[in-house]
Amino acid sequence: MQKKPNWYDKHYKLTMIIPLALLLFSLFYLINFTSKNGDVIYKDVSLTGGTTVTILDNRVNINDLEASLKAQFSDVALRKISDLRTGSQKGIIIETKSSAEDTKAALEKYLGYNLTQDNSSTEFSGSALSTGFYKQLRLAIILAFTFMAIVVFFVFRTFVPSFAVILSAFADIIMTITIVDLFRMYVSLAGIIAFLMLIGYSVDTDILLTSRLLKRGDETMNKAIYGAFKTGMTMTLTAIASISVSLILIYHFSDVLRQIFTILLIGLGFDILNTWLTNAPLLRWYLDAKESKK
Amino acid sequence: MKLTWRIWILIIAIVFSIIAIRPTFKSGIIVTSIDQNSELLKQGLSTGEIIRSINGKEIKNKQDYALITKDLFTNNSEKRVDISTDRAEYTILANKSLDITIDSVPRTRIKTGLDLRGGARALVKPDAEITDAQLDDLVSISRNRLNVYGLSDVNIRGITDLSGEKFLLVEIAGATPADLQQLIGQQGKFEAKIGNQTVFIGGDRDVRDVCRNDATCAAVTSCSPSTSGYFCNFAFTIYLSEGAAQKHAAITKNLSLDNTGQYLSEPLILYIDESEVESLRISSGLQGQASTQISIQGSGSGGTQEEALKNTRAQMKKLQTILLTGSLPYKLSIVRLDTISPTLGEEFSYTIIIAALSSIIIVSLIILIRYRKIKSSLALLLTSFSEIIIILGVASFIGWNLDLPSIAGILATIGTGVDQQIVILDEASRSKTLSIKEKMKRALFVIMSAYLTGVVSLIPLYWAGAGLFKGFAITTIIGITAGVLITRPAFADIIKKIEG
Repeated sequence: MQKKPNWYDKHYKLTMIIPLALLLFSLFYLINFTSKNGDVIYKDVSLTGGTTVTILDNRVNINDLEASLKAQFSDVALRKISDLRTGSQKGIIIETKSSAEDTKAALEKYLGYNLTQDNSSTEFSGSALSTGFYKQLRLAIILAFTFMAIVVFFVFRTFVPSFAVILSAFADIIMTITIVDLFRMYVSLAGIIAFLMLIGYSVDTDILLTSRLLKRGDETMNKAIYGAFKTGMTMTLTAIASISVSLILIYHFSDVLRQIFTILLIGLGFDILNTWLTNAPLLRWYLDAKESKK
Repeated sequence: MKLTWRIWILIIAIVFSIIAIRPTFKSGIIVTSIDQNSELLKQGLSTGEIIRSINGKEIKNKQDYALITKDLFTNNSEKRVDISTDRAEYTILANKSLDITIDSVPRTRIKTGLDLRGGARALVKPDAEITDAQLDDLVSISRNRLNVYGLSDVNIRGITDLSGEKFLLVEIAGATPADLQQLIGQQGKFEAKIGNQTVFIGGDRDVRDVCRNDATCAAVTSCSPSTSGYFCNFAFTIYLSEGAAQKHAAITKNLSLDNTGQYLSEPLILYIDESEVESLRISSGLQGQASTQISIQGSGSGGTQEEALKNTRAQMKKLQTILLTGSLPYKLSIVRLDTISPTLGEEFSYTIIIAALSSIIIVSLIILIRYRKIKSSLALLLTSFSEIIIILGVASFIGWNLDLPSIAGILATIGTGVDQQIVILDEASRSKTLSIKEKMKRALFVIMSAYLTGVVSLIPLYWAGAGLFKGFAITTIIGITAGVLITRPAFADIIKKIEG
């Protein structure tokens, strides 16, 4: 029984143009970005070295404080943290590349009281150490990606399907970095970990798709892809839903988790694109070619 | 319904985890540390005992304790204190404080890290290349120093990171002393010199003992107003070794007297890390004497009398600590120092719990809408919860401190866990040609592959960044391993039962 080929059967290869164009744009953008900024991302003080002070003060005005600190620390950045229930100001986060002593002294002068452990948190990180951390975490991501690739090859033992999975994960990360840069997000140590989490999240759906298609038995190709699509989309959408809810709740509370969740959300969005418009057609192309050889 | 062995394993794992977490409903306060010179320690009080009452008054919480001790020690007169704990009764005489630190009885054995509980964390780097054995030495000397100083809830570890650099990681829970930076960052090389000759140095070769916590030989001697606030003096006795005393005698023998005739012409100058901290006049009576008992003096100041007193005591304590424990073998520099307010931490735990619960509810709703099967959705919800319990159970069992990266790890695990259960659900309701057993086998293949990629991608994180992000790797690995070995097979069996 030969079914009439539908639109997808005829043109599925064309769908790859969209992610491919995006990937090329991203690569081009990132190469350009790196040559201009010396690195592939904007780094915050946790990666360059510097001080983060969180003061628990619900009265001080953030704009006045910023104006006062700007005079002494040109690179200072301030953010407000607010209460989850009432939305009122709970405190302010101050970030600068200066030392903890200088930053605290300036703050104490402005606030008119001493900063103690009861009313503030301070994080200081030396610049050599931070740069070292950054290099190591970058290496950790590269290693993680390599290990992941090896396992994928080991599991599927065929080149094209494995390559499609890895390409899709690679595209996820590259596109996510591009968006992060376009939004001028300053990535923290935690943000780097989010990229690591992304490796795990993005290969899940790809592995599902690949194993469903490779072992599809007497199912038609489209049916297998559609079945995997239904499962995979449920997976990704539930992840997106749960992360969005968490993101909304912690948005004004924790910088660390906010960045992790934001990066994951962007990544999961691209994962939909790359799994179903890059990995799926590539895999189908390979299987079609293999079958027509028979 | 007959339960399969996989479901039994899940039930057993949950029971074990709950035992490991051990929620308690006891109230009261628990002893977290005891001063080394405390009478209570001699009587056998140990950390972890729960204080029931003091002088017959029941202690239910930290406020009760604070009120009672405040009432007891209003004036500095000596009082009899009867303490009853869950293990024994103690009676001591005290005039200032009980020399113990306390905390509320923890509700569970889940340990939270500094990000949630408040405290200080310092990453300290020796300025020289050192070996693993030398790093171990450094850890034990530093630990000794902090213990002598009176900090007992301290965690010190040596760390080697991905690029082979060695660090000392110091974590102190709860309130941290203001001079922590000096305490851990300072090498603490103590020298007492007359002229340019060293009489004695810190550490047990020259200093046999140091009087501490005994008002008869270590105290703040005077306090008076000064131009910029208050100024206090302290003095404490140290006991020198025979060798150091002989050296003192030999050096002072040839000195002349100053113009008052009461003191020797050269003072005894105390140096810490090569900078002068105090200059003490030597009374003429000590000339040429091999005295093993020496009085060390110093001072401190502050804006108010109270502040001056506090600073002076801290100053004295620091000097006593350095004299007793000696110098650290290397110069150290603090390359990272975080002090986290406990207030922020509490708020944080609350927010995270709300976020986690909301996420799970949203996911269950989506699953319910998508599959329209109450039983399967409930099974999924239960499996996710049991996964969290197992992670927390294992973390409590191995004594892992849950910090921010660990929590991010738990959240990530719930996410991937749900994903994999969706694979199982979908596989079960797919083509009718395969047996349910075959379908589950396929689902588990996908899950196993995803598991392997997950584990290998986490391994590098274990060492990267001085291991500060280890928590993420640990909770995630616990979670996904428990998932693959326990919860997912059990979930597959549950689905088989429901769909079968």
